[in-house]
Amino acid sequence: MNRWLILPVLVPFLTAVLLALLNGHPRVERALNLISCVGLSVYAFWLLGHVDQNGIQAMVIGGWYAPWGIAFVADRLAAIMLCLSMSVGTLVLVYSFFTAEPRQERYFFHPLFQVLLLGVNWSFITGDLFNLFVAYEVMLIGSYGLMMVGASKPQVRQTLKYIAINGIGSTLFVVGCGLVYATLGTLNMADIALRSSQLEGAPAALVTAVSMLLMVVFALKAAAFPLFFWLPDSYPIVPAGVNGYFAGLLTKVGVYSLLRLFVLCFRQPGAELVLEVLLVLAGFTMLFGVLGALCQWEIRKILSWHIISQVGYMVMGIGLAAGGADVAQAAVAATIFYVVHHIVVKSSLFLIGGIAGRVSGSQQLEQMGGVVELAPGVAALFLVSAFSLAGLPPFSGFFAKFVLIRAGLADGAFVIVFVSLVTSFLTLYSMSKIWSYAFWRSPGRATAEGRYRAMMVPTTVLVVFTVGMGVVAEPFLRLANDAARDLVDPRAYQAAVLLPVPAAEATLSAREVLRP
Amino acid sequence: MEFVMAVVIGVKFAAGTYMILRPSLIRVVMGFALYSNAANLLLITCGGYSFDWESPFIASNDRPLMDPLPPDIILTAIVISFAVGALLLTVAYRVYLDHDTDDPEKLPPDSLA
Repeated sequence: MNRWLILPVLVPFLTAVLLALLNGHPRVERALNLISCVGLSVYAFWLLGHVDQNGIQAMVIGGWYAPWGIAFVADRLAAIMLCLSMSVGTLVLVYSFFTAEPRQERYFFHPLFQVLLLGVNWSFITGDLFNLFVAYEVMLIGSYGLMMVGASKPQVRQTLKYIAINGIGSTLFVVGCGLVYATLGTLNMADIALRSSQLEGAPAALVTAVSMLLMVVFALKAAAFPLFFWLPDSYPIVPAGVNGYFAGLLTKVGVYSLLRLFVLCFRQPGAELVLEVLLVLAGFTMLFGVLGALCQWEIRKILSWHIISQVGYMVMGIGLAAGGADVAQAAVAATIFYVVHHIVVKSSLFLIGGIAGRVSGSQQLEQMGGVVELAPGVAALFLVSAFSLAGLPPFSGFFAKFVLIRAGLADGAFVIVFVSLVTSFLTLYSMSKIWSYAFWRSPGRATAEGRYRAMMVPTTVLVVFTVGMGVVAEPFLRLANDAARDLVDPRAYQAAVLLPVPAAEATLSAREVLRP
Repeated sequence: MEFVMAVVIGVKFAAGTYMILRPSLIRVVMGFALYSNAANLLLITCGGYSFDWESPFIASNDRPLMDPLPPDIILTAIVISFAVGALLLTVAYRVYLDHDTDDPEKLPPDSLA
């Protein structure tokens, strides 16, 4: 029982409250926000090491034991995601110190940022389906606020669409929670895994149908085909800097939930159906995303469309988990590695896009140009990130695609492997379009602002990480493999969550099933 | 009783879908409200009910207890959908003030600031 697991939720919550009270003192707000982020990053990395050494950690809120109370669980996957959330959050915060307008800071930029972190961390660490819904709502409310912070006309208008879409998604999520409770009688994820694995016949088919509804909800949040249309409109209007966090983390919360629920939780006979559907959707997601990117001329829109096509790769990994146990293990490990790679690379690309836009005075490719001459360092960072996104060695993207495609070949899913390779070539083409227009051409309007060098620091950290993750891939692959084993075989997770129940209350079948 | 509730929930979802698909922002907000209402009714129905069941905290005899979790979930869901609904209404009104129209089709073409 590790009661400090509450920290990733408690710290951003308290910081958000304090920051709201301190509104109007930007220097104090910045300092407090940064201290909170750095402190929690340190905790997240400590937690990852601790979980890696000592196995899955779980706590229950208020002393109500697991299937009844709300459980917070940190397995390797959750700890990895927490590390990414906090470290990308810290870097993005430092970056936005240089880009945030005074008006945005006055209208609660800092508290909203902490609310966003709160929601994201919460959805990673919770072990309860309904609690996951609440975490999603907190995250969404933070993102609504940040999306229209400063409230310009285009911002408000696009945010309306974003709120409406996500509001409908959330309603379906509540319905899904209710139906899971009605069919399985529990909302605790470890208990869902236990009870669904004991089902057969008609009840199992009913649970599969209910889980399909949840699949739609998470596919919407992850922006998978055909529910991606909201993303390319809404992400470009997020203030520069924070859009790195949106691009890196928010859709990945959807991918994480798909992994958590459809690999770990739903284990009834026939559950592979959802994964098979996801595999088909993954192919369309990749292709539509990259084709959408090809016909855009605004740098943030191109990058937003690429988020969709990259989500396709991760969903493909989840879909491949329908194969045998070995394939599932390899596919889930590849997905986790891909998620880590993607969060880092996509955040860095958005940050670089922001700098390039500032250097050349526009975000439209046709008006940009000459960034190579004006800011060669930025061009170098872009080249590394773009190659990594397209999957060229020796960057992290190469190994991410390599392990994913190897899992696909092992499963015999040749169509999806072919689609993913085609998508990867088109990604390279689309990146070279940005390169040749924004970076390579002679400067269009020489409005180079000198104040971009400080913004390079957080960006460089992310780019160095993607190089490091490619050059020294071994420890990352090992960690992804171990994290995948926890997901594919739920016994360790269930034991950590369900077994601490005191003997007097052991009315649950968990004891007979889990105890050797 | 469950049959009646199923019909009510179905009609509410259908009406909500119709409202959300109307070309009018205020109707989208109302459709969202209908959706969250229907979802809450569905949660109540999932928990089941009977006049024979006792409340868990004031139960006096041996009759079966009502499951307290669905009402608990509904309370949380109501608070959240109320907050999000209020925000949606505010933003819809702001869009109306900005562009002088309630029809999403008539909003000026998308331009990034």
